[in-house]
Amino acid sequence: MEQNEKSSLLKLMSDQLSRSVRMYLDNCARCGACVEACHAYASTGEARYTAVGRAQNIRRLYENYHTITGKAAPWLSEAVELDELWMDKVYETAFTCTGCRRCMVFCPFGIDTQQIQTIAKSLLIGADLEPKPLTVRAKDSIAKGVNSEATRAKFAKQMDQLRQEVVERWTAEAGKDVIPLDVQGANVLYVSMAEAHSILPAARIMNAAGESWSLSYYEAVNFGAFVGNRSMTEQICQRIIHEAETLKVKEMAICECGTAFRVMKHVMGPFDFNVITLVQLLERYIKQGRIKLDKSKVRGRITYHDPCQIARNGGVYEAPRTCLRAVTDDFVELQPNRCLNWCCGGGGGLVIAAEPEFRMKTSKIKAEQLKASGADIVATACEMCYAQLNELVDEYELDMKVEFVSNLVAQALVD
Amino acid sequence: MFGRIWYFVMVPMVYLAFVWCVLGIAFKTMQVLRAPRLPRTLRIFPESKSPDDRPIGGWAAAVWDTFAMPTLWRFNPTLWFFLVVFHIGIVILIISHLDLLPQVNIVSASSPHMIGNGTVGAAVTVALLYLLFRRFRGTVREVSVLSDYLLLFLLLCTVVSGDIISWGNSWSDEGFVMTKQDLGKYLESLITFSFTDPRKFLSGSHYPVIGFHVLCANLFLMVLPFSKLVHTCFALPMNKLRRG
Repeated sequence: MEQNEKSSLLKLMSDQLSRSVRMYLDNCARCGACVEACHAYASTGEARYTAVGRAQNIRRLYENYHTITGKAAPWLSEAVELDELWMDKVYETAFTCTGCRRCMVFCPFGIDTQQIQTIAKSLLIGADLEPKPLTVRAKDSIAKGVNSEATRAKFAKQMDQLRQEVVERWTAEAGKDVIPLDVQGANVLYVSMAEAHSILPAARIMNAAGESWSLSYYEAVNFGAFVGNRSMTEQICQRIIHEAETLKVKEMAICECGTAFRVMKHVMGPFDFNVITLVQLLERYIKQGRIKLDKSKVRGRITYHDPCQIARNGGVYEAPRTCLRAVTDDFVELQPNRCLNWCCGGGGGLVIAAEPEFRMKTSKIKAEQLKASGADIVATACEMCYAQLNELVDEYELDMKVEFVSNLVAQALVD
Repeated sequence: MFGRIWYFVMVPMVYLAFVWCVLGIAFKTMQVLRAPRLPRTLRIFPESKSPDDRPIGGWAAAVWDTFAMPTLWRFNPTLWFFLVVFHIGIVILIISHLDLLPQVNIVSASSPHMIGNGTVGAAVTVALLYLLFRRFRGTVREVSVLSDYLLLFLLLCTVVSGDIISWGNSWSDEGFVMTKQDLGKYLESLITFSFTDPRKFLSGSHYPVIGFHVLCANLFLMVLPFSKLVHTCFALPMNKLRRG
């Protein structure tokens, strides 16, 4: 590695040394309490897939360049120089971890591995070694915001097609603006994914609840967050925030996408408007009696996979359960669940960035957990989890179907 | 020659170690405080948030997490047990050392024993042995670095030499030639900055054992701010970050 490149990478590392990161890097006792927390370790037994193992790849660099003991006696802490070979370790830290933060629950100090991961991701971006599919998607996403008029025109045209689909599927919707856009003063700005499966059930339910809502022109997913690029993350969020502020909406409901929800609510927020995830909106409709559900419409035992970014990192545990209990009498919990639920293994952009073979190998524990539930349907409230769980079901030949919570609620709706 | 070395270890080095430790902690704290603060929460949600979306817990929960280590109790009760024994033991030992001073009388000044009659030191020794030997096995071994072993060894040397001094006093009728009261006088000379040669209070051939104990304690204080032992100061703020 050339000196110039090394210097610029080390500068990037220094820039990431926030107050919390310094504490996390200085204080880890390597007690190993986090070892059992990681689904990848639990599935493979490899120490490099533990929270502490991944963090050590960055901590050993930090020791070398930022601590007195590391400089004076590097052999004490196994401090290392930054070089091309070590960048492989950095990659391992950044992209074998889903950022689920389950290890943070187990750590007696609450060390946030995801924060240490941000250093790794920033080094990879600086060295142009980050997974390109994520960067390409992030750039595409930003481009849509830059060329706003063209994006909006194209999106509106796509929605015309979807509107027809809604009316064909749910005849009761005929004659209404089933997918409203640009509604000034709407109660809810719904931020969906680009695909129909993220729009149609939500539209159906919100219309049934008589909600005043408007669909965002921009998709919720934030590839900038997956890459670990702060600037991209903010750009992707800002156009949606601007839209919400321009329309003067009361609430922003993020579709079933864990990272999009967490980034908007806990990283970018707070705002003048409230940010919720779609399942919270659905729970409200059910509790307020604004929608009627027929439990006979959804058949089979249902379980729920808590998406890490919505549950452990977002605090939303009961809303999806309320929704599912409203569509079935046969609901069963995964064990463990809620804060301790096993990550699906696809978060943090790994569904796109990591090889399927790796994701399947490191999620064996998840497959075993799903199988033990005896459920016919595993519901979730996150796009990445949905994709990963579907692959897991196929790989481990689990006799179950993966569904979004919103789709189950939409299926159970009484016209 | 040895007399001078032991004098340095037993008197000036004690002050140097304390000053080094305090300055080191201040340096580390400044380093952390001067770093930019993240503008966002790092909290996780062990349970559902309250209806009005205010964080549950805050400082109270962070204090509980720091001192009770509830998740460790749940997932690794053996490690939890030895860590609790170790940490509580260390606190009691610090109090026991203060009790050596004639002005402090938790245990009667005339008693040859320190608090716990030597059992606290023994318990801490066992806990340290557990913490050390678990690092030679399995995944913990793979993630450990040399300093992890050396720090535990340093602590073990400190505690075992303390055990020898304590047991020497507790287990025989006469005790060490150097009694608890003699040790109290030495400690008092330190806090009054008299710079008296400890040999004046501590006569007998066991003097190097005391010297070794003090040397280890000095080294412990000196490495504390610049090693993972600094979690003594930062465990609580880190847990506060987790609790929001």
